[in-house]
Parts: sequence; C-alpha cells; structure tokens
Amino acid sequence: MEQRLFEKFHEWYENRHEYAKGWKERTGGKALGYFCTYAPEEIIYAAGVLPVRILGSHEAQSFTEPHIFAMFCPLCRDCLAQGLQGRYDYLNGIMIAQCCLHMRQAFTSWQKHIPQEYSYYLYMPHGIQTPRAYPYLRGELEDFKKSLEEWTGREITNKDLDHAIEVYNENRRLMKQVYSFRREKTPRLTGLEAMEMVVSSQMVDKEEHNQALKKLLKELPNRKLNRSTGTRLMVLGSEDDDVEFLSMVESLDATFVIEDHCTGSRYFWNEVIPQEDRLAAIAARYIDRPACPSKDWPKRTRLPHILKLAKDYDVEGAILIQQKFCDPHELDIPAIRSHLETNGIPTYFLEFDVTVPVGQFKTRVEAFLETFQLPTDLF
Amino acid sequence: MAENKYETKPLDCWNEAKQLRKDYYENFARARKNGGIRWAGGAWSFSAVPAGLGDDVYSLTGEPYGATVAFNKEFAEECHEAAEAKGYARDLCAYMRNYWGSILLDKFAWGGEWPKPDFLWTTHICCSHAKWYQVASELEGNVPFFCVDVSVGPYNERSERKLNYMVSQMMDGIEWMEKVTGREYDDEKLIQAVYNECRATSLWAEICTLNKTIPTPLDEKTMYSLYVLGTLMKHRKECADFYEKLRDEVKDRVANKIAAVGNERFRVMTDTQPPWAFLELWRYLQKYGVVSIGSLYTFGLIGIFEVKEDGTWGPRTTPQEQGIEIETREEALKTLAEWTLSRPEWQHFYSPELKSEMMKRIVKEWQVDGVMLHYNRGCEGLTIGIAENKLALKEAGIPVMHFEGNMGDEREFDLERTKAEVDAFLEILGAR
Amino acid sequence: MTTAGIDMGARNIKVVILKDNKILSKGIALSGFDQKASAEKAFNETLTKAGLSHDDIKRIVATGAGKDVAPYANSEISMMGADALGGAYLFPSARTVIDVGAEEGRAVKCDDKGKMIDFVINERCAAGAGTFVEAMSRALEVKLEEMGPLSLKAEKAVPMNAQCTIFAESEVVSLIHAKTPKADISKAIHDAIADRIASMTRRLGIQRDVILVGGVAKNVGFIESLKGALGVDLLVPDDPEFVGAIGAALAPAK
Repeated sequence: MEQRLFEKFHEWYENRHEYAKGWKERTGGKALGYFCTYAPEEIIYAAGVLPVRILGSHEAQSFTEPHIFAMFCPLCRDCLAQGLQGRYDYLNGIMIAQCCLHMRQAFTSWQKHIPQEYSYYLYMPHGIQTPRAYPYLRGELEDFKKSLEEWTGREITNKDLDHAIEVYNENRRLMKQVYSFRREKTPRLTGLEAMEMVVSSQMVDKEEHNQALKKLLKELPNRKLNRSTGTRLMVLGSEDDDVEFLSMVESLDATFVIEDHCTGSRYFWNEVIPQEDRLAAIAARYIDRPACPSKDWPKRTRLPHILKLAKDYDVEGAILIQQKFCDPHELDIPAIRSHLETNGIPTYFLEFDVTVPVGQFKTRVEAFLETFQLPTDLF
Repeated sequence: MAENKYETKPLDCWNEAKQLRKDYYENFARARKNGGIRWAGGAWSFSAVPAGLGDDVYSLTGEPYGATVAFNKEFAEECHEAAEAKGYARDLCAYMRNYWGSILLDKFAWGGEWPKPDFLWTTHICCSHAKWYQVASELEGNVPFFCVDVSVGPYNERSERKLNYMVSQMMDGIEWMEKVTGREYDDEKLIQAVYNECRATSLWAEICTLNKTIPTPLDEKTMYSLYVLGTLMKHRKECADFYEKLRDEVKDRVANKIAAVGNERFRVMTDTQPPWAFLELWRYLQKYGVVSIGSLYTFGLIGIFEVKEDGTWGPRTTPQEQGIEIETREEALKTLAEWTLSRPEWQHFYSPELKSEMMKRIVKEWQVDGVMLHYNRGCEGLTIGIAENKLALKEAGIPVMHFEGNMGDEREFDLERTKAEVDAFLEILGAR
Repeated sequence: MTTAGIDMGARNIKVVILKDNKILSKGIALSGFDQKASAEKAFNETLTKAGLSHDDIKRIVATGAGKDVAPYANSEISMMGADALGGAYLFPSARTVIDVGAEEGRAVKCDDKGKMIDFVINERCAAGAGTFVEAMSRALEVKLEEMGPLSLKAEKAVPMNAQCTIFAESEVVSLIHAKTPKADISKAIHDAIADRIASMTRRLGIQRDVILVGGVAKNVGFIESLKGALGVDLLVPDDPEFVGAIGAALAPAK
C-alpha cells in the first residue's frame, strides 16, 4: 500500500522514453533534450515544447570511446551513449545551458553525430556572483527565446511565459511541501522515493507532474512507513540517480532525509520571483539557484546552504559522492567535508562510476553507520 | 637515423629569453621588499589591467609556474602529495596541484619561501580556473580574489552584450583593485599595457607563421622556451620588444635556410601541453628526421591570428597598426576583451569543430605530415573535445596518433610505452 | 630466404622461423626476469626444431615490449606493424587485427598487403587484460584454461563496470559475496574486458574482416564476449599468440 503512493513517479522514471513518445503523440508537440539543470525550462515549456533531461542508464557501454577521452566523467559518457544507441531518437532537438566541460562534450558530440533538427548552446554565465550576470543572461535568454520561436514557428507571448512560470513555480512549491515530510522525526518517504519524484519531474510535463504531486500530498500526511528510520543521512555531490546505491544504503537502517544534488533539491529549491520583465525574472532564478560547484566562486555559497539543509533536516551524517573525474565536485568536496565536520556532522566519501560496486560500498557504509550507533560513554 | 641536409645553429637571442624568464620570477619574489605589488593569476588573466596600478607591479602566472615545478620531478611529486593529503583528487589539473603544493609546502620553485601575493586576479573559461584561485586564496589565508568570467562563447558569435559583460566585470575589478591596494589607478598605464599585449601576441603569431617554411626555422621544443614569455608577461614592453627581436632573427633564419633540425624529413604537429618531464620524446623524434613545427597549443595559447586576404593564417593586425587610438579606460578594456576573444585556444571550449578546422588549417599551411595528439590527463581544459579532433583529422585523411600522458604529473606518463606507439606511427609515416 | 621473428612479450617470448614465407618452426618460453636469456633459449630451440643453424637465418627481426633487449636481432618492427603483417599473412581478408595479450590490448587497421594504416592501444586504466583474467581465476579458484569454457555456461549477464581493472576487481569480490554463480562471474569478467577492447577498437572504426590474436585469443569465453560487444564475427588463427612473431619474420629489411 505505502509503496504505491510513489508508484507514478517510479513508473515515469523507469519508462521515461515511453512517456515522452506518448506525450508527443498525444499533443503533437516537439520534445527538446537538455543536458544540465541550468536549462531555462520555463522558456522551452512556454514554447509548447517538452523539456526532457538527458541522463544515463547506468550500464557499462563501449560506444563513447571514439568521442570522449576516458578522463572525463562517467555521466557525460553515459549520456552520450544513450544518444548513440538511439534511445532518445524521439527528441526533435537538444540544448545545453553552459555547464561543466564534461557535459559540454556529451552535447557537442551529440550535435555532431546524432541527427536532430535543432540544437542550441546557451552561454549561461559561470560568473553568477557578479551582478553583471543578470543583464547578460537576460539578453542571452532573449536570443534563446527568438531561436525557439523560429524553430517552432510560434511566438512565445508574455502569457505563455507567465503560464510556464506558474506551472514551474507550483511544481517547486509542491515538491518542497513533499520534502517537508522528510523533516519529520519519522520521514514519510525515503530518499529513493524523493529522487524518483524529482528526476521524473525533469522528464514529464510539469502540469501532469503537479497533478500527481497534489494527489500525493493528500495522502502523504497519513502515510506510515513500515521501516525504521535509522540514521538520518544527507547525500550530496555530483549528479546521482543511482537507484541501486540509494536502496542499498536505505536497507541498512538509515534514511536519506535530504540531499544537495541536481537530481534533488538543487534542481527545484528556488522559484522565479515574478517581475514585469519575464526574461529578467527567469534569468535571476537561474543565477540565484543553489549553485553547481563549477559556478560557485569567488565565495563558497554552497557551504552555508548545505549546512542549513543539514540542520533543517536534522541530519546526523553526510555521504559525499562524486562521479569519477568530476573536477568541479572534486574542487568542492574537501571544503564541504571540513565545513560539515567542524559543525559536528561526520562525513563519508565515495567515488561513483557508471555502475557502482554495491558489495564493497555496502561494507563501507555499514562501517560508517556503526560510528553513529556505538555507545560513546563506554569508557 | 636521418642525415643532416640543412645548416643549423642555436638562436642568438636564446640567452636573453632565459634571462627575461629568470628576472620575471626574481622580480616577483623581491617585489615586496622594494615596496612593489605582486598579484597572481592564470596565464590567460587580463594581465594588462593590474598594470594600471603602477610600474612596480609584478605577477606570477599559475600555469607556467606549474610547468616549472613539473620539470623537477621530485618537487612535483612532493607538491602532488601535499595537495592529495589535503583531500584534493589526483586527477585534478596537474599545474594547479603543483601550485597548491608549493603553497602548502611553503616552497617556491625558484628558491626560498612561497611568495604570497597581495591579490589574485584571474579569468574563468576552464572549469578549474576560478576554483584554482578560490582554493589558493583559502590556503594563503584569504588573499583577496577577483575573477572575470569570460565564458561567453566563441569569437564568431561575439556581440556587444558579451563584450559588455566582460568589460563591466573588468571595470568592477579595477575599483576592487584600488580598494585592495590603496593605490590610485592610472588609465594611461593600462592603455600602454593593452598596446603592448596586442603587439606581443600578434608578434608571436607572426613568429609561428614563419614556421610554414621548409626547413622550419624553429622546432616546437625550442618554442616552448619562447612562447612562455607570453604566458608570463604578454602585457609588458620587454616581452613585445623581445618578440620583435626574435621575429627578426627567425626571418633571417628563413632567408638563409637555417633549420631548427638539420635532418628535417618529416613534419609533425602535436596538441596540448607536453609532458614536461619527458621532452626527450621530441629529441627521439628528431633521431628519425621528424620535427614538430608546433601545435595549436604553442601557436594559439598566446598568439593572436587572423585570416589574411589570401585566405591563410597570419598575425592579427594590432589596433595601433590600424591607427586606432585608445583614449579611455573603457575603450582599453573593450579592445582587450575583443582582442582576447579571438585567441585560438579559447574556441574549442565551445565546439571541437572550431578546433578541428584550425588544426586542419595548420596541417595544410605548415605542410604537416602527421599529427601527434597528447591526450593530457593533467588538463581537462585543453583536452576537451580532443577525441572528436582525432576523428575529424582522420576523416580528412591526415595521419594522426595519440599518446596518453600528463603535463605535470609524471606518475601518469609511461615513456617506453609512448615510444612504442610513436615507433608504430613513424612506420606509418615512413620515417622508420 | 629464411627469416626469424622474435616477439618479446610481457609474459611469453615467441619465436617463429619462416622460409620463403612458410612457417618452419615455432618456439615459446616464459619471459621471466632475464628476458634476454629466455629469448636466446627459445630462439636456439626453435632453430634446432627447424634443423637450421644461426648462419642459415638471413634476417632476425624483433618486436614486442622488450624488443630493445632481443638477442641476435638485426632489425625491429613495432608490435602493431607486426600484428598487421602477421594477421594479413594468416588471413588475407583481415583489415582489423585485434591483439589482446597479458598486459596490453591493441587494434590495428591494415591494407591487403598487411601494411599498417592506423592503430590504437588501450588506455592505461584498461591495461592488463590477460593478467586480470589470471588473477580472477585465482579469486574464483578455477584453472585459467577453464575460465573460458566456464563462462560459456553462464545463464545470466551480470553487468560489471569496466572502467579500470582495479575497480573491476573489487566488483568481482562483491559478486562473490553476493553468491553469484561462478559461470556468471566468469562471463562478467570476460564481458568487462571485451567491452574495453571493443571501445578501443571503435576508435579505429571496425572494418571487416576482424581477426583476434594474442594470448587471450585462446580463451573461448573472451572470444564470445568480444563477438557480442563488437557485433561482428571474429576470425581466430590457431596459435594466436604467435602472430606478432610471424609478422616480425615477415618484416622488410631496413
């Protein structure tokens, strides 16, 4: 019974391609694949196009080696492998909002080798802490909007933008409400369920997702999970939709109560604050969102943000994961570990690949969890 | 072994280049004793901008420093271990780890303690750039740090908006510098530095262009010791003056058929930074009469090119050559931003195809027989897209090989294995 | 004309003597610590087998990782060049030769004369294919030569990450702990290596016919896995470990 509350999101997550194909058939609309969550989805949605996040499938593969040198992260190679195998052949186009060097390679190789009618590189600034970024990104968004209009042959009106902003903001509010149930002493959802909810929102029509969220929120207050919460963990780092890993940890008397991932809270945490200039409002939303490490400079804004999440969600320990070779996260992890530990939150670090050695990771996580259970007043 | 066909001799201005480099590091170390200012940042930072703070302002650029450390295998290893002990992953940029390691060990590669800079001033195009100095600032006890985001796209998509984004950040940076140093800013010095930089980087491009000749007057191994001046002080008069002298000497070599390598039979080009501790590989090639005429890296890291009327690549015409007079701070910054956006080694960050096109151009115009790509584990910024470059070169029918290594971490380079790969490539070229 | 090829491999030294492009005799010896001495011994035994003396050999060409210390050699050729010549000698239709040995995987593209056109070597993280199977056979307590046949009995494909052999090794340990049947683990190991080799070969472009040579080509499990990963049929010669030495014996004089 309790599992079924999240069944819809699980289904969408598992059958993402079928969903998108069905959506296209149903609506006659186009689908646009995007490579990083800095993509200003509101504008795409306002154009009547379905934004679909391109993610990997967590299978070993041998297709990307001619295209991407192996020192780049497993995620960018996994994403490109999906395209090369034709799994996203229903996409009408692709776009990227400038992010790390790794993902850009998946995008540019896709551009070159996989036929598509439309592709767009949005020069999302890296300098998100300079006030100069706001007018600059606003202008870049205007170019993107024009390009979408040319592609779809349809004008994107203020009304379209307002509608998209409202749908997206509602999605963010609803997911945040669901997250509040993770703050409870006995969380009413697992970390795995939360992940599938968020990642599915990156693949399905947000209006439909909102309906499912509203239904969920009606029943969630009465839900009792038939499991022990155990140690309250946070997980943070590179992109992480590794089902096997999340469920392994949550089978060990532990629950992920919050995370800082682009497949989790970082994706939806802040809303577009409406203003007359819609594009300026959208630009501000993406500049002000919880940062990806590649853009988090000169100040480290992630440190206070992550610590606040840990406190708000009453976190006992944090697992930091990093996609192998993910330089941006490698550059943040030492500072985050030290900040959390100085503030009394023990951390444990794991390096991820396309697939993970679950058995070996289990041994390590078990040992990490033991440190929370041992009586401290023994001697 | 290939026999000598051409006359060859060392460069007359070789020692001057060495001296300039030595003075650069010593001036930096000594700057504070003399009341001067020192700043540190990437080789691609807008070094002309701090020049407005006075004539006694000295810089330390991070990448050439990291390469200097890499030459000394023992010290490099100490640096890497120190950075790793701090929790930094070993697959991060090798120069950056050499640099952080020096701070952590409090050791300067040129002797003495680590000379802590007064402020950090850099640009961000590669994901590691701003983060490099963010961490450096932390390790040095919060040295003030300013970074200009230049990731606005390739030159062929430049726009007023993109230039304004860069210029306005630099304007903010100047105000910040004044606050941090307590000095008044002199726009005239900035304007002169911008002229110097345009002159130096265009001259370097001109020098590279002279390598189109057979036999090549300069080989890549020699160029490594020369282009470095541009990575240290492209905005300084002595750099531009030196390149002018060098240009004249290389022209002279071309006129008199003086070869870099007497037995030149085959011409190759490489890509990305070399494994600095293993430049003997370039000597190994020369045994077979194979000479590297350079690379997009040695040409375009610093050199600024343009397509000339006949469709070939040559040095970009400077603002002063065009008779443009820069009068204000804003004009100077805009000129600098526009000039810099055309840097060849900035284009591939957005598309491997732009780089493949430039590489094919070099193959054609520099009469290259084969391409040897260094898949450099030490630098994700210059290695991005390299596999696509290889595919594109192959598609164009150009013989190409790659070898794996690391510019600054010798633990990741296997000389014997690389020689085995090179041997096979030389067999394909017919050089062995 | 009689020529000899000496392939100074990481694990074994292989010697082949050719007369007018016909194989007269072959010899093999463990490389051991003193490669030169091992090679001398293998060479002299092969000579004896052919009923020849040293003076009968017109040209001796060395190849392989240790070619610099090869005894008697008066010329040398790269491993990839030798693979191309040897491969095309055995199968004139060969255009791609994949060589998987103890420490290294290579792929070579060649023309109908066995001339190498392009080549690729595995990345460092993927090194040690043959040695890896050997180590894993010890972990599974299975004889090395049984690994291949065992893998053919697998009922399930267990995905394993093939990014680097060290990481893969820890995954094998996890599979053992999870009580995965030995046959399935064995297939997972071969699949993982095959994926790496297929990845590498794709960088060259796969042009048929594809032939598989080198010591690991004796492993039927690996052959099956590689066929699956590449999606093409593979030609495998008898005594696949001798192809490099044959190619060396065919190498032109310099």
